[in-house]
Amino acid sequence: MFRYILRRLILLGPLLVGITFVSWAAIQLARGSGDYFQALVLQYPQISPATIEGLRARFGMDQPPWIQYLRWLWRIVHLDFGLSFSYQVPVTWLIGTRALNTLLLSISSLIVAWAIAIPLGIYSAVHQYSVKDGLLSAGAFIAISIPSFFSALLLLYAAFWTHLLPLQGLTSVNYDMLSPLGKLLDVGWHLILPTIALGVFSVGGLMRYMRTNLLDVLRADYVKTARAKGVPERRVILRHAVRNAINPLVTLFGFELGGLLSGAAFVENILGYPGLGRLILEALQRKDIFVVMGSLLLGSVLLILGNLIADILLAYVDPRIRYE
Amino acid sequence: MKGLAVIAIAAALLLPPDVLAHAVGAAGAAPPKASPTRPSLPGLPHPKVMLGEPGRFGGTFLDAQVADPRTFNPILAQETSSTGAIGGLFDGLVEDNGETTETEPALAESWRTSPDGRTWTFKLRQGLQWSDGAPVTADDVAFTFQVIYDGKIPNSLQDVLTVAGKPIEVTKVDGLTIRFRTAEPFGPFLRSIGVGILPRHKLDASYQAGKFNQTWGVNTPPRELVGTGAYVMTEYKPAQRITFARNPHYWRVDLQGRRLPYIERLVLTIVPSQEAHKLLFLQGQTDSYGVRPREYAAFKRGEKAGRYTVYDGGPSFGSEFLSFNQNRRGGLAEYKLKWFQNQKFRQGVAYAIDRQAIIDQVYAGQAIAEYGPESPADKFFFDPRVMQYPYDLDKAAATLAEAGFKKGADGLLRDADGHPVEFIISTNADNQDRVAIGNIIRQDLEKLGMHVTLAPEAFNTLVNKLVESYKWEAMVMGLTGGIEPHNGQNVWKSSGSLHMWNPKEAAPATPWEAEVDRYFNLAATTVDQTRRKAYYDKYQEIIAEQVPVVYTAIPNAYVAVRNKFGNIKYTAFGGPFWNFPVVYIKP
Repeated sequence: MFRYILRRLILLGPLLVGITFVSWAAIQLARGSGDYFQALVLQYPQISPATIEGLRARFGMDQPPWIQYLRWLWRIVHLDFGLSFSYQVPVTWLIGTRALNTLLLSISSLIVAWAIAIPLGIYSAVHQYSVKDGLLSAGAFIAISIPSFFSALLLLYAAFWTHLLPLQGLTSVNYDMLSPLGKLLDVGWHLILPTIALGVFSVGGLMRYMRTNLLDVLRADYVKTARAKGVPERRVILRHAVRNAINPLVTLFGFELGGLLSGAAFVENILGYPGLGRLILEALQRKDIFVVMGSLLLGSVLLILGNLIADILLAYVDPRIRYE
Repeated sequence: MKGLAVIAIAAALLLPPDVLAHAVGAAGAAPPKASPTRPSLPGLPHPKVMLGEPGRFGGTFLDAQVADPRTFNPILAQETSSTGAIGGLFDGLVEDNGETTETEPALAESWRTSPDGRTWTFKLRQGLQWSDGAPVTADDVAFTFQVIYDGKIPNSLQDVLTVAGKPIEVTKVDGLTIRFRTAEPFGPFLRSIGVGILPRHKLDASYQAGKFNQTWGVNTPPRELVGTGAYVMTEYKPAQRITFARNPHYWRVDLQGRRLPYIERLVLTIVPSQEAHKLLFLQGQTDSYGVRPREYAAFKRGEKAGRYTVYDGGPSFGSEFLSFNQNRRGGLAEYKLKWFQNQKFRQGVAYAIDRQAIIDQVYAGQAIAEYGPESPADKFFFDPRVMQYPYDLDKAAATLAEAGFKKGADGLLRDADGHPVEFIISTNADNQDRVAIGNIIRQDLEKLGMHVTLAPEAFNTLVNKLVESYKWEAMVMGLTGGIEPHNGQNVWKSSGSLHMWNPKEAAPATPWEAEVDRYFNLAATTVDQTRRKAYYDKYQEIIAEQVPVVYTAIPNAYVAVRNKFGNIKYTAFGGPFWNFPVVYIKP
């Protein structure tokens, strides 16, 4: 097992180089759409071409693309993510100020989604083809088909008219004057809307996974055996069936770990949430390349690690799986 | 100072008597003062008096802005998201009055020019202090300009302050006196010199270490930002909000001689979009909102219920226009270039645009038709006598016929050689107004028999076409303007990189472009403002006659502010808060 993990970690390096190279190449191929510095002239008609060239040179963007990439890679090896063009501060600082907020939202919506989806999925499978199962499935399909930006808009609209929940942000204007408990409640209060938008609306897919897996397992011979032995039905479901049905969801969980920090740009943008998604989306629009590359790298590392963790977990929950 | 005849500038002379008169009027209510006629503070004998009804101290003002600031460094700050966040922290030697648009003393108390118009001597107010208590001196001013002219610090102020290719010489005369000398007489001098002065004692170390470009980035603890403005930044939470508190060392007083500003705390919420700002305002979570023309009617109706007032600032400085590519380097078909380079073709198009439809449909009636390159919001340089192109399809067809364009039996307009008139209008997709204007123009031109396609594209793609590949035919674009036409020289001079229809010409391609170049150069090297106005009138008339860009409409500027605030004097030029220090909360 240890050797397997080590091999995977060693492979991480070449994999990341590959990912970043492809990303960089994609950005270069979109050259016809201009770069960050070019767009400055429309914002400040008085800016001279020399000033624009000066800025470009300051960031090394006057070099051929492959040199730019190698330089970037060289700095990354030294854990230097470079400076953002538009902010002129380290990319790590920009990501750092928003990473925790995104993590908070991702984890809260992950917990909400799984806490609702797993029991509903089990219930739905156990009551297959009942009216309740039908209603739950219908609900799940509706949730799956609503894109997150739309659910966020609906929630924003509801919050605006009911005055029940804050419309924007993560904290209130008077946050700094609150007691520690008050601060906690304030953040929790602000988290409700984005958590619903991201968490509740992703219940549908997960629930359907759980239902299908459990239905498969319920047809297995060992479940029949357990029932024949006279094991109580509740125990059959929870002890025997659910534990086996959860395996594919562990893999899914690994993917979700990878997405923890990539943020949810649409939801964040609509609900004014101070997360990474907003930063990345803006950087993409402005062609602030180092910010884009930095967050891509972060996302890739997390995705790869998430997969690794899922594989390890899988070996742990399912004794049939061996990696040697 | 040898041979320096002293000429006091009218603006410098105007203010003190004005202030004097008001101060005398309010003398009865004024707290202790050093002199019976002019308010004064201990250690600050000549504070600047800001007009307005006497207000109350205290309270909080809630505002919002779209997008995070990019930097807290005023030399590097370019976007409105940065200048909006730190604009209140720094002051220049002079400033433009938000209401009259006149240049007035700010950190400098007075100034004079030499008869050749090349030397300007400024006297700082005595006793000015930075927000950390350190004195403001001529060294700070000299340091600021040293930084601006440093080749290793790319900034656009450098470009504005370059006269005849040379930087302005800046010399410290004594602790409070600073002298500027330009290579040639420089007309826009006063309007350009009011850049925010930096605290040398805070920034010199990093500047000497060659780290100025990374200094005062958005990762700086806000307490490090030392300025002279009415407020100091107390907190910045990225993507959430910026908080400001009153600067206890501020250099302005009210008419009763009390140190401003009135309002204690300022909170700027960072929102992802203008829509979000609107919702927050409607819910009472911000105190002001910049109302767009098409929202005007709805906001006006909600005034009473929302306890706010919509202020009308009149025409704004922004303009949207249609331009045709006249650039040979763009690889356009020869016959198309011939159309676009033909003045009659462009004039014909100008007559065919239904500006009233644009005003009604895009701006809900809250705009005025525009024909020339300067906005009437520019009270000094705007020339109302430029050639106008009121909507008239017959005249449009007649003008096009003069250039040989004829509508065939199939309803298509053809040039003299039989090419049907077909072209693409590009515009940026993320700007609703421009797309709407493009659609109206397309419909108008099709009435003439032209075949026009509207192509909304990503903003960056459009910019690339405009300044690098030159591969475009026609474009609906917009630029923001200001008072000083000199700042538009990159657009109007034939060598300019934003001379959209034919950028960076080695020599003027047409006689009229040569004329415009000449007037811009004359106006830049003339100090007499009346003569400068005459030169800029000429340029506006030439542009309107040649229509390299076909103007459409100028929207009006509006802002909604809660009724509890006093002394709101909104103008399109100054915005809602140019006099923020005297804005107060009514009891």
